[in-house]
Amino acid sequence: MKVAVIGGGISGLGVAYFLAKLGAEVEVFEQKYLLYGASGRNSGGITAQFMDKELIEMALRTMKLYEKLQSEIKFNFLLRKGGYLKLSDNPRELEKEVEYQKSAGLKVKFLSPEDVKEIFPDINTNAFKAASYFKDGAVIFPWPVIWGLAKGCRELGVKIYDWTPAEVVSETEVKVKNEVKKYDVIVNAAGAWSAEINNKLGIKNDLRVVKEEICVTESLRPYIDPYIIHSNGLYLSQSMRGEIVGGIVGKAGEKSLDSSLDFLVKYAKLATKLVPKLRGLSILRQWSGVYDETKNGKPNFGFTGKVFQLNGFGKNGMSLALAYAEKASKEIMKS
Amino acid sequence: MRKVVCRCEDLSEEDIIHAIELGFKDIESLKRFTGAMTGPCQGKGCMMHILRILSQKTGKSVEEIGVTTQRQPVNPVPLYILSGDEK
Ligand SMILES: Cc1cc2nc3c(=O)[nH]c(=O)nc-3n(C[C@H](O)[C@H](O)[C@H](O)COP(=O)(O)OP(=O)(O)OC[C@H]3O[C@@H](n4cnc5c(N)ncnc54)[C@H](O)[C@@H]3O)c2cc1C
Repeated sequence: MKVAVIGGGISGLGVAYFLAKLGAEVEVFEQKYLLYGASGRNSGGITAQFMDKELIEMALRTMKLYEKLQSEIKFNFLLRKGGYLKLSDNPRELEKEVEYQKSAGLKVKFLSPEDVKEIFPDINTNAFKAASYFKDGAVIFPWPVIWGLAKGCRELGVKIYDWTPAEVVSETEVKVKNEVKKYDVIVNAAGAWSAEINNKLGIKNDLRVVKEEICVTESLRPYIDPYIIHSNGLYLSQSMRGEIVGGIVGKAGEKSLDSSLDFLVKYAKLATKLVPKLRGLSILRQWSGVYDETKNGKPNFGFTGKVFQLNGFGKNGMSLALAYAEKASKEIMKS
Repeated sequence: MRKVVCRCEDLSEEDIIHAIELGFKDIESLKRFTGAMTGPCQGKGCMMHILRILSQKTGKSVEEIGVTTQRQPVNPVPLYILSGDEK
């Protein structure tokens, strides 16, 4: 089985790793450097608080896979399990969400702002009305995840070509540096660029691109345990390096990687309202990323002809992609 | 003697050379593998040293290697200034 994977993000390297373990011959193409895509630009929040049974199961499996792969590949992903807090201005809606997740077997709790203060004393209890707390949620540093997966892949004989844009010319042919190569299966793991590949081949999909901005402050001693996300779009967490990494959930439409002052101002307002003590902290750098999302919030997954779709992870790819990559490898080997 | 190249992330010349030998031979990958140029100085103190080492090890000129994306802001800005709340 000879497989070409388009995209060197978490989906592409993930499926390459699992395929190689099952004995496939795999080549991965990345147009720029590894980490150029959303997998190198995200905030690493890991959760299973989804409104769909399959997504919950896949998220729980992804969490197990991070731990398994860390020891298999012998690479530290800097995974910190401090819980995941969803804050909301709409308690009724959130309570329904928590009820659904509980019925699906997930260990989540519905909390009042006062309860949240016990988990994180510096939070402003007037800035939200209720919370959903997933104790097993975590924060991961995306860079070592990608370097680790790449190392694991190479050790299994996967060829990773970075700085190598690949043009998919048919369902089984890829043009690389003016040479057309043939494969049994091509995996479209191109993140925000996946729709372009599909469009070229005439494959229908409902993918749309979202741009999201994010920034990081100087380091503090570790003191914020959970990853925190608010229904107004704000999210923040503290990395193992002590920096506060935070952003605002993106909007569909734009595909540039520009950074804006508008974002920084909005972020500063929302973040200091939620955690007033952060006001003296300085922003060190800001950047942005693009990801692809589907209408129903589930990934675009499975065969379309000989092309396997492994994209559409939206704003949850770090929480979901590994389990879907594992499942994809099995379906590809069976084909 | 240990030659410190990046003070923010405490990286020595050997650390950088080791990473280049592992295959992180372009400036974007080297930055993201070692963490160099991502600390409080954002590369102001270390980038020229790193470019020199990379150039020596790969035989490429500093122009060929290029510089990594300069992220805004140029100097750290406190959140209270950005939020317009200077109380
Ligand atoms: C600011 C931000 C914050 C986020 N926060 C979180 C979070 O807290 N938790 C979470 O779970 N998720 C988060 N996400 C989402 C997550 O990052 C993505 O869902 C995930 O990284 C998608 O991975 P991927 O491998 O599918 O795509 P990518 O990582 O984008 O990888 C696709 C790769 O394909 C390459 N490529 C495209 N076309 C070609 C071609 N023709 N030839 C060669 N290479 C090609 C691209 O260069 C790219 O590197 C966030 C995203 C952003 C932008």
